[in-house]
Amino acid sequence: MGTTKIGRIRGDRLLLLTGIACFAASAATSSDGPSRWWAPGEGRSFPAYLSYANDSGELGLLNDGGAFETKGHPFFEPLGRNGRACVSCHQPADGMALSLKSIHERWEATDGRDPIFAVIDGANCPNLPQGDPASHSLLLKRGLFRIFLPWPPKARDGTPIKPEFDIEVVRDPGGCNLDPSYGLNSANPTISVYRRPRVVANMQYVLHRNFGIGAFVGKTGEPALRDPENGQPVNMNMMADAREPTVKTQAVEAAITHLQFDGKLSPEQLQRIKDFEYQIYSAQVKLDGAGSLVESDGPPGMGPYNLARGEKGVLGNNITKWVIPVGDAWQVKKPGESDDEFAKRQSILRGQKIFHFRTFWIKDSMYLNNVGLGNPVKRTCATCHGMHMTGMDTANGWMDLGTTNLPWAKEAPRNPWQTEDELMPLFKITCHKDVQPHPYLGRVIYTQDPGRALISGKCNDVGAIVMQQFRGLAAHAPYFSNGSAANIRELIDFYDRRYNIQYSEQEKTDLGNFLTSL
Amino acid sequence: MRLLPVSAAVLASASFAAQAAEPGPLPFVACPIVQDTPTVPCWIVERDGETYYLGIQSDVSAPFNPPSLGHKVLVEGGVDRSAPRICGGLVIDPVTVSIMPEASPECDDLRMVNPHISLPFEPPRPPGPSMGRLAFTYPDPPAAPQPPFETKSFTVPYEFEGMVGFKTPRFLNPVLLYAQQTNARRVEIRGYRGATKLADGTLLAEHEGIARARAEEIAAMLLGAGIDQATYVVSADESPALGGPDNRRVEIRIVP
Ligand code: HEC
Ligand code: HEC
Repeated sequence: MGTTKIGRIRGDRLLLLTGIACFAASAATSSDGPSRWWAPGEGRSFPAYLSYANDSGELGLLNDGGAFETKGHPFFEPLGRNGRACVSCHQPADGMALSLKSIHERWEATDGRDPIFAVIDGANCPNLPQGDPASHSLLLKRGLFRIFLPWPPKARDGTPIKPEFDIEVVRDPGGCNLDPSYGLNSANPTISVYRRPRVVANMQYVLHRNFGIGAFVGKTGEPALRDPENGQPVNMNMMADAREPTVKTQAVEAAITHLQFDGKLSPEQLQRIKDFEYQIYSAQVKLDGAGSLVESDGPPGMGPYNLARGEKGVLGNNITKWVIPVGDAWQVKKPGESDDEFAKRQSILRGQKIFHFRTFWIKDSMYLNNVGLGNPVKRTCATCHGMHMTGMDTANGWMDLGTTNLPWAKEAPRNPWQTEDELMPLFKITCHKDVQPHPYLGRVIYTQDPGRALISGKCNDVGAIVMQQFRGLAAHAPYFSNGSAANIRELIDFYDRRYNIQYSEQEKTDLGNFLTSL
Repeated sequence: MRLLPVSAAVLASASFAAQAAEPGPLPFVACPIVQDTPTVPCWIVERDGETYYLGIQSDVSAPFNPPSLGHKVLVEGGVDRSAPRICGGLVIDPVTVSIMPEASPECDDLRMVNPHISLPFEPPRPPGPSMGRLAFTYPDPPAAPQPPFETKSFTVPYEFEGMVGFKTPRFLNPVLLYAQQTNARRVEIRGYRGATKLADGTLLAEHEGIARARAEEIAAMLLGAGIDQATYVVSADESPALGGPDNRRVEIRIVP
């Protein structure tokens, strides 16, 4: 146990060894056997409710449309050439995303042959040999798939967009951006960035048509993407760069890029994918030490049933709705509740308060500080994460926190003694003279992932990433679009550094318990 | 050092013979300062030994455009000498704040809570969650126009050197609606470039070409939002019009 192919080949890499050691320890404890992993085309029945243990407790999934057979269902069938289905990367046990832990388990179980490792995007570059861990280092170390996008970008109608900046590849450990067939100088100039799969559940929140949606994007003024079926503007809150307007257009793209499907999804197939995505709700239901999060008198913001019933697409950064409402639950110790359980629940409640009320100076964050709030602004986590029940932005949730832009992005230290190679590509962005410089980063920006700017071509959009929903976090570490926070604590530490919050140890614990219980 | 487009546009003119009898302190360009209070912070500026109050932190409904540390601001408006000081500053009201595009790293003054400074009023929006008030409410749409439709004009304002931003949709939504309701045949868009004479006599002009860039950007927005059957007539007046914020604008005529 613990001696793996990855360990043998890259045994000199401290980071990877640590990763494997953790994996070996946790693999031994996951008890729910073969049914945990949903392999493509298994033809299993998808029940109305299912739950899976995770490192922090248990995740619950409510299938609000009732049980169905997955045989023939386009989300579950391997439609394309590489044997993957949508479910390959959007696994129920991982809150409909994909944890690094599951990726390691698949590597182990299949010796690197599981379809998720298909080289099209499961390797650093398709020209690398499948099965050699070095080919898959971004996936194995950070849980990242390759997202390849044309450069310069094209509008959805195919017309080329004139970018406001030049882009150069400064560092390319994956080798794809400089590759003559796949890179920026290939016949089809392409930029490869590496991103985490996102949660495909609670999608009625992600794609609501309620608050804040108009013909023009509220943050930039640009025309909003529209639903090709009805011409209505959409909220542009999906994918790290909001490039797809609806789950149907997204499914078409995913089938081509992830599944290597050469055909055309039929309207029925697209509708079935949409129906499934709109009826599946996912959230943590148990937290170790705190017991059930979903007792009948429990917090109204927790668990998948409350999500299914909740109001979709409304602001929660107010004391009438809250981002995650906790109601009167857990205020006083109940009969039968142990001291420890009560204490942990109190910690979650304190974490919820910290999230909503603990102020800090939010500074130099594009699309927060430049949209009428001022820079800096003395506010809270809930300022950016304002949508009721999910913690997303209500619409157009792209912002630049510094997760992918230097100087804040996580980078391997550079010094004569380091043995760790940086994994992520690095791009140099130079904004053209005829546009205004980025207000916080100037004319030259270094970034691991230009995010929204790869779609819009705009200087101000460099490193702006659409924020993800907060549900089932415990089931799908690591966090942030580039997987740079290995766990919740690292995520909190990122914010603590980024905004000089100076959380106490107790505040970090409480905030962590709150996030883990979602 | 890089060349700053705006400073390059300063058409230096120290000799202004005809200053107003009692020259006010405005307009001027200065570093904004954040003065924190036990509730929300204030934005102030200091000028010739005097402190001026611009506004408080609120939300996207803020009546003024809040500044950004790291950038100077152009402050236009008038000092309201009858108003009591706020955060130690004389109140500028009305106030127009433009964030200067070039970086000014020296503008980094964030002043922590001072026991002598507090807000004399309850801020509409606390630094945490709101009390339930929405930052932006949608006004009821105007009654649908009835034929025969009339040509209607609209104005989109800008901050100094500003282009389309988060506030633009507020001005453009009525244009879009009217164009849709009247099935516009023709959309005439004309961009303008402004210039401001600072109190110290400096003439600050927006860069040449901004009038056209503004007009073209608005045309692209309306086209992108679905007004694709109309003929667009896009023009620009690049002569810098000396005056206040009103000169920085795009005018749109919707011809049904
Ligand atoms: C190889 C792994 C993989 C497969 C297979 C896959 N996805 Fe994804 N999915 C991703 C990644 C990575 C992202 C994030 C992409 C980004 O942010 O640019 C994503 C994002 C999404 C999102 C956006 C969720 C949100 O809220 O932002 C949806 C919806 C989605 N996938 C649906 C599908 C569907 C439908 C299929 C099958 C047709 C599918 N996926 C197949 C990896 C995968
Ligand atoms: C300036 C806006 C802003 C503030 C303030 C902010 N966030 Fe975020 N948050 C984001 C953005 C943008 C992302 C997506 C970043 C990415 O993926 O690279 C994000 C992502 C997240 C995620 C999702 C991670 C994942 O991978 O699913 C969590 C959890 C989170 N933030 C928690 C917090 C907490 C806790 C605070 C308060 C300490 C906070 N955020 C403050 C903008 C903000």
